[in-house]
Amino acid sequence: MSLLHATWLPAIRTPTSSGRPALLVWADAWRVASPTSPGDTPALHPFSLESKALRSWLIEKDLLPNDIIDATACLTLPSRSLKPRNTTKTVHEKSKAEELDKPNWTGLPLQAGEPVPKQCEWWPWQVQGLAVEPAAATAWLSKLPLSGRQPDLGDELRWWSHLQRWALSIIARGRWLPQVELSRGEGYPHRARWVPLLNREDDRRRLEELAAGLPLVATCALPWREPTGKRSNRTTRLRPEAMRAANPVASCRPRSGRLRVANLLEELVDAQLRKGFEPNTESLDPLLATWQEALGSESGVITLSDEEAARLATASNHWREGVAGTVAAARACLELFTPTENNDLWELRFALQAEADPTLKVPATKAWGAGSKLLQLGEVQVEHPGEVLLEGLGRALTVFEPIERGLDSATPNSMQITPAEAFVLVRTAASQLRDVGVGVELPQSLSGGLASRLGLAIKAELSKRSKGFTLGESLDWEWKLMIGGVSLTLHDLEQLAGKKSPLVHHKGAWIELRPNDLKNAELFCNANPEISLDDALRLTATEGESLMKLPVHRFEAGPRLQSVLEQYHQQKAPDPLPAPEGFNGQLRPYQERGLGWLAFLNRFDQGACLADDMGLGKTIQLLAFLQHLKIEKELKRPVLLIAPTSVLTNWKREALAFTPELQVCEHYGPKRPSTASKLKQSLKNIDLMLTSYGLMQRDSELLEAIDWQGIVIDEAQAIKNSNAKQSQATRDIAKTGKSNRFRIALTGTPVENRVSELWALMDFLNPNVLGEEDFFHQRYRLPIERYGDISSLKDLKARVSPFLLRRLKTDKAIISDLPEKVELSEWVGLSNEQQSLYQKTVEETLDAIARAPRGQKHGKILGLLTRLKQICNHPALALKEETVDKDFLIRSAKLQRLEEILEEVIESGDRALLFTQFAEWGHLLQIYLQKRWRFDVPFLYGSTTKTERQAMIDRFQEDPRGPQIFLLSLKAGGIGLNLTRANHVFHIDRWWNPAVENQATDRAYRIGQENRVMVHKFITSGSVEEKIDQMIKEKSRLADDIIGSGEDWLGSLGASELRELVTLGDN
Amino acid sequence: MTNSSKTKSEITTALSEEGLGQQPWWVEQWMELINSYRFKKRLERAWTYAREGNVTSIRFEGRRVHARVQGTGEDPYKVKLWLDVLNDEDWRYVLEALTQKARWSAQLLAGVMPSDIERAFAASGRRLFPFKLQEVRSECNCPDKANPCKHISAIYFLMGDRFSEDPFVLFQLRGRTRAKLLEDLAEQRREVLKDLAKEEEQKNDNSQESIIDDISIPLTHPAIADPSLWWQYEGNLNADLVVITPAMEGDTGLHSAGDLPLAEEPRFQEARQKFLHHLHQEGAKLAQQAMLQAMTDGE
Repeated sequence: MSLLHATWLPAIRTPTSSGRPALLVWADAWRVASPTSPGDTPALHPFSLESKALRSWLIEKDLLPNDIIDATACLTLPSRSLKPRNTTKTVHEKSKAEELDKPNWTGLPLQAGEPVPKQCEWWPWQVQGLAVEPAAATAWLSKLPLSGRQPDLGDELRWWSHLQRWALSIIARGRWLPQVELSRGEGYPHRARWVPLLNREDDRRRLEELAAGLPLVATCALPWREPTGKRSNRTTRLRPEAMRAANPVASCRPRSGRLRVANLLEELVDAQLRKGFEPNTESLDPLLATWQEALGSESGVITLSDEEAARLATASNHWREGVAGTVAAARACLELFTPTENNDLWELRFALQAEADPTLKVPATKAWGAGSKLLQLGEVQVEHPGEVLLEGLGRALTVFEPIERGLDSATPNSMQITPAEAFVLVRTAASQLRDVGVGVELPQSLSGGLASRLGLAIKAELSKRSKGFTLGESLDWEWKLMIGGVSLTLHDLEQLAGKKSPLVHHKGAWIELRPNDLKNAELFCNANPEISLDDALRLTATEGESLMKLPVHRFEAGPRLQSVLEQYHQQKAPDPLPAPEGFNGQLRPYQERGLGWLAFLNRFDQGACLADDMGLGKTIQLLAFLQHLKIEKELKRPVLLIAPTSVLTNWKREALAFTPELQVCEHYGPKRPSTASKLKQSLKNIDLMLTSYGLMQRDSELLEAIDWQGIVIDEAQAIKNSNAKQSQATRDIAKTGKSNRFRIALTGTPVENRVSELWALMDFLNPNVLGEEDFFHQRYRLPIERYGDISSLKDLKARVSPFLLRRLKTDKAIISDLPEKVELSEWVGLSNEQQSLYQKTVEETLDAIARAPRGQKHGKILGLLTRLKQICNHPALALKEETVDKDFLIRSAKLQRLEEILEEVIESGDRALLFTQFAEWGHLLQIYLQKRWRFDVPFLYGSTTKTERQAMIDRFQEDPRGPQIFLLSLKAGGIGLNLTRANHVFHIDRWWNPAVENQATDRAYRIGQENRVMVHKFITSGSVEEKIDQMIKEKSRLADDIIGSGEDWLGSLGASELRELVTLGDN
Repeated sequence: MTNSSKTKSEITTALSEEGLGQQPWWVEQWMELINSYRFKKRLERAWTYAREGNVTSIRFEGRRVHARVQGTGEDPYKVKLWLDVLNDEDWRYVLEALTQKARWSAQLLAGVMPSDIERAFAASGRRLFPFKLQEVRSECNCPDKANPCKHISAIYFLMGDRFSEDPFVLFQLRGRTRAKLLEDLAEQRREVLKDLAKEEEQKNDNSQESIIDDISIPLTHPAIADPSLWWQYEGNLNADLVVITPAMEGDTGLHSAGDLPLAEEPRFQEARQKFLHHLHQEGAKLAQQAMLQAMTDGE
């Protein structure tokens, strides 16, 4: 798969202009390449897409920019040193060649996402791409997504889209001024420019953020000069020396990004304002008219004499200096200190502060002391620190006059100011100073943050008799007013307010009393409210929560309340609960914690979503939970479990195996009860009823008539689409009912990252947590999905996290006791078509076998077993169909289940190997999967040529954006290959010999594997596949025969043995 | 007397719509200098010249002002204006005095002309501003024997505005360009700081921040240690950029920058205001467009 990149070109040469900047859009794609070596000029990037392919790919993605020309640039990229591949020279020749080529380096450029080698070098590479004019580039960048990783867009494109977003904000807020920029030599005429003003605190912070995050590929270009050019209709060719001089093998050095980013921002802002600006030169003098025309022209070239241009440049620069200074690594900073005892005056100290990290500060003495040398501030180097400090102080003077007194000496370090001046500084001047780019540090209690606001300190505990089981219950509590870290009583507050001074001293801290805060405090005292456990949960969930408009600065919970809060907020793992009596198996420690968590939320009557990674045993935990209720005598009514049809079989199997005491029934098939009374009757003594999403929707009225104790949904992503009937019916059934129903959702997808799907899930679990859908959409979904708003996301996560438990199989700290290889049996049923075809085949063939002559019997039996296994895979396979029809999915239960699991694999960014013994099935599956996910799915089988085979393996193992699914035939792919990048292995159909399956599994589970490997074995229940599985597991006599002797034994099967083997059992 | 006072007030109001109060102090001071001139009639005629656009060019070339004024003749007259240049020794005194007060350097670096700058010049017994108009040297190739002739006087008027374009022009006329002045100031400050630096270095030995001698030491960029930074970007969209908001009323960069410090071309009386007004209008239009675009982005 190709990955798109964008790199700024400071200047490109085109037939119409020289030296115009542009955005180079280019792409690379993994392929097999031999190491190359730069010659006189940089080598051609072996992975970059040539411009024609790039164009068509961009058209396909609907991402082709306007105003483009083909261009080449020379990009500096980290590169891997590699020896040339074909070294067939003799030793003698080799040493000679080495002498000659000694300085020559060979290697390949690294690609994004590729593992970085230990030794990395930086080399220039010639990259082809499309150069986009600045104005068109801004339009193109605006179209890019602002959040989320896209599989075919490089990370730096998101950086670019953020920069463009900032440029838009600069334009919307009018933070710009027109300027005249003087020529910097030949090819750079005088130009009229639109320049962003970066004086405001928030813009400066943004500059630092974007500079710190700058992916260097965005600015790693040197322009490339083509060897041929056109001059007055004659093609000219550069001589080799000139070519070498124009395109040297040189790299750009990675440098701090601040200035670069400021320049790029300027380019984007300039391009957009220039494009939209309509000059109106009516009654302007020639100078201003020329300037205005140039501001609206495409190139910005301003045709004035050098003197006139210089005059405009000086005047416009002087104009701008009144608002914004230059971009430097550090800035002047004023630190305010409260008066010492017996002193009225406040101290203001001068300091130098790093832009990148405001906590890095040095007193002015250090800046003066540095003289003309560099000053090192942490990791930041500051040039001319004294001048930076002085310029800032000069600027500070324009908004905070009292400083003048402090600047009378040559090297001032601090000064004293009056209380009145201090108040002006705190109240208004501080923010004005920040706006002119001067840092201001106020004492903590006056810093204007939340802490400096009047708020509450709360102490609370559960009431004596309470166990903390209900959310609405009131807590025993007391509160105090608090401001700037000191507490005060209402009486204190009244006294301080009486002083009529804006800054007051209390208990050693200086605080600012604001009229609004006083009013809120009064209201609060009069109301004297109660707080509930629910309030406590909310107040402790995130910082900055408030109670009746008063911020809660401190919340102290008593020990009993604390333990409830901690479990609720999952700061502490829930208390584990051992496997209940009657549970037929062992729970791993993390499963015991999962069980404890389910029980904990159940106590609160809160819905729970168990979202553990696939293979961690969600089914087992849920069954254990039900068994726990049963043992505690709390399971009084039946529980309804809704799951996709494809997993119902699995549930029955697991329930039978692990919780035999639970009475389980299935609401499924044509014979299911059709009236409420019949259903009620059939539910007598039943603990758990299973049904499918489809039937739940169809029989919803019927099912709603039952007084369920709880509703469980498996593969909960099935209800993600809140408008779908299936989702609505599911949510309805969780809500209706005389008494409360517990709600549990099980899913293996990373549900917390799919904002759009969260609402329906939470509406099922706990309807009030996220509010109405429209509100949710405006408040969370839009800001997070479209703009990647991190604060909304944090808030959302804080709200839902108490109800979500997700453990990852990769998290070895939590799941230390899981083996490195986990084998999972995936039990599946048969679709109607599969079922009838299976039965028909068995009946017809058994007769034929019985009648067949002895010599043909063996072949016929083998044929039958093969055909049955094919039917279990898909009817299309048994019927020798070669195309994939539109019902392809619903015709096979196994395929449905396979798709569900693969979806989770792909979502989590994992990679999987799919083994089958039928090449025809591989072909069908390949077509289907490629269509389903729109990506390449390689298929390796017997007729794959040796070269193709190697290419598939290399790509799967090395391509940073290689395929996530790799299909292999058991015979051709089961041995010898190294495919450790996969951490899932699927055995779609069973083979008699487990050793063969294990060998295939070992393609992934071998040295070099860094992750846990999940092995999924599909077994169609009741079918021949289950019998095979049984034989393998029980190591029966038959199985012993099988292993080592292939399928020969089949011939000697007696008629009844054969019938037992192939007849469709009652699944 | 009545006549002269009338002339004075006429001139001052005509010169600037906003009145002198809004002019930078050094422009004001210049205008006072002109108005102290005795021959009011000549000034009046010169003002008409200036206002009617007879001055076709004014160039600051090094330490001199070159101008052309269209008189009654066919070709414009060439006018030269200059001040007495301070010699290096005088400048040394001035620089020394300027270094004594951090505020002077601070303001000059921030592009502001300190209002008491004359005190620094007084240290060397010199002045930045001419005290009398006679100190402004001038030459005109017109037949008029009087100096200043009306051509020269016309330049006087327009110079005031030109000073507001660049407060450092006066320094230039006295022999130091802005760049040179700042450079010399920095040099001078280093002298003053040398002793201080020594003290600091001794104190500094075990503190966390350090002063580096060699400017050319390159910092190792983090991408060298971790080449994956070449592509990686983990940042999220800044919360303030989620919703793109307009400026508060009167809070754009144009508003804070205020009037464009560019001398008005007398023949185009309101050109500067029009220019600014149009920028404001277009700015508001473009801001609207940007917000609309921001709303549909990323869809």
